[in-house]
Amino acid sequence: MDKAIIVDHLVKNFEVTEKKPGLVSSFTSIFSPVKKTVRALRNISFTVEPGELVGFIGPNGAGKTTTLKVLSGLLYPTSGFTSVLEFDPWDRKPEFLKQISLVMGQKNQLWWDLPALETFELNRAIYELPKRDYQEALGELTELLGVKKILNIQVRRLSLGQRMRLELVAALIHRPKILFLDEPTLGLDLIAQQKMRDFIYEYNKRSGATILLTSHNMDDLINLARRVIVIDEGRIIFDGALEELVNRFAKEKIIKVSLSQEDDIKRIESIGKIKKIAFPEVILSVPRSATAVAAAELLQNFPVADLTIEEIPIEDVIRKVFRGEGRKKLLK
Amino acid sequence: MKKYLAIFRISFAQEFAYRLNFIMWRVRNIMQIILIFFLWNSVFSDPSRVVFGYDKARILTYVFGILIIKAIVLSARTVDVAGEISSGDLTNFLLKPVSYFKYWFTRDLSSKALNLSFAVVETTILYFILKPPFFFQTDVAQIMAFVFSLVLAIILFFGLLFLSNLITFWMPEQGWGLQFLLIVFTDFLSGGITPLDILPLVVQRILYALPFPYLLFFPLQVYLGKISGAMMWGGLLIAMAWVLVLMVALNFVWNKGIRKYEAVGR
Repeated sequence: MDKAIIVDHLVKNFEVTEKKPGLVSSFTSIFSPVKKTVRALRNISFTVEPGELVGFIGPNGAGKTTTLKVLSGLLYPTSGFTSVLEFDPWDRKPEFLKQISLVMGQKNQLWWDLPALETFELNRAIYELPKRDYQEALGELTELLGVKKILNIQVRRLSLGQRMRLELVAALIHRPKILFLDEPTLGLDLIAQQKMRDFIYEYNKRSGATILLTSHNMDDLINLARRVIVIDEGRIIFDGALEELVNRFAKEKIIKVSLSQEDDIKRIESIGKIKKIAFPEVILSVPRSATAVAAAELLQNFPVADLTIEEIPIEDVIRKVFRGEGRKKLLK
Repeated sequence: MKKYLAIFRISFAQEFAYRLNFIMWRVRNIMQIILIFFLWNSVFSDPSRVVFGYDKARILTYVFGILIIKAIVLSARTVDVAGEISSGDLTNFLLKPVSYFKYWFTRDLSSKALNLSFAVVETTILYFILKPPFFFQTDVAQIMAFVFSLVLAIILFFGLLFLSNLITFWMPEQGWGLQFLLIVFTDFLSGGITPLDILPLVVQRILYALPFPYLLFFPLQVYLGKISGAMMWGGLLIAMAWVLVLMVALNFVWNKGIRKYEAVGR
């Protein structure tokens, strides 16, 4: 087996009924519902190697979660080919399901009224895990996530962060080879987020599992994903290394200058767009191709004490992608 | 098989998490029994009176019997399927190597076991307090046919209820309505309120072609010995045919439904 996941020309359309507000229109919609086709995925293709950790980014409604749902066999693709561990996800064969797991930020499988351990025991039976494997996985996971002490407490009495970590134990107790994570740090505080990230990184390294994750959390992507796939409006607009994304996307560079004495700001404006002035420091953004010229001009015509040229921070790039600005720039 | 044993166990534990709820529900049942007992007791104040072929002993046996059979046949957790589909919780099960039908059937059975054990205790206590004349079936063949008809009834109700829940795939907001309608109809058409043989013959004929009488009325009549021989076998055959029809329909609608499923609710 060479590829863990193959997606080829995948298309997924949803049919939704439009509902307008108001009593009259709710009534008329019973008899003549207005159907609309939403094209969630328009022909996407990619492959993932075993053991890779790939981050999906894109604005809301771009199709990230839909992709994960198709890959885990929840959604029936409109057309195209998908293969996960050489299974067709939609068949949902037990041998397939035993090797995957999908964790969605706010979807819980833990039994609300019972201690989490009960759910784990249930999963042990459902996944038909041998007692020893189960005990081993449970020990390892509860250790890594620091949840040993709360296994016997009713789930409803736990905090969100505690619950999320227990959800993760439940989702990983069968040691899936492929892990789909949808917004794994959503709603967690900073410390809990860090714990979750450390865990995902550790799990990927230790078990060699293939991990696909979507996130709106910058730190998740920067710290975890070596490769990112940018999806927008149901299309893949970038697929490659995270650093590569900056080169491809950022059409500008940042020049930071330290002036030795005050000067006319108007004159500096003619060289590049001023992003920030906090005298003596001025931060300019200039087109990538004109960087050298702009720097030379600054050095020549201004009382420069210090000058550095930097890339646009990756956070800014990703932030733009989330806002849906990637589409315009990258497709050109 | 072990999977479903674990599901049975956790479902049992879950019911116990709502102890007070459960006790209230049982209290309601006891009140119902006492109410119905005194109602029929006064109707049949003259012990030799016979109405629609029922004397006092038979009608009281019918009323008590219906309550126990209801506890077995109609107590079901499957009502929650609609909620799981519309909220997207179904996702959790689609991701696991487990049959969704068997999962809910197991949960039904665990609910039935719990309800039945309480119903038996309650009815025994009430029996000794109220001392109603009660009809005990002694014919072994009849008892076996009764048990078999009960098994069919359980599967039939499961199929009907599950099917009515599946409408949620197409109309996420309408799941409860159809279910409610089904339960109301079931209670009436299956003899939960009055014995069906007091209805006009034409109505009875039509009813017997439907699955409803085989849920409550038919099994009890078999127990009471009012239906036996060829008529009993005919009834069992119709019930079996309905089981088959419902299973095929369930599979068909399910397979259509999960294609529509959008796994919503992030």
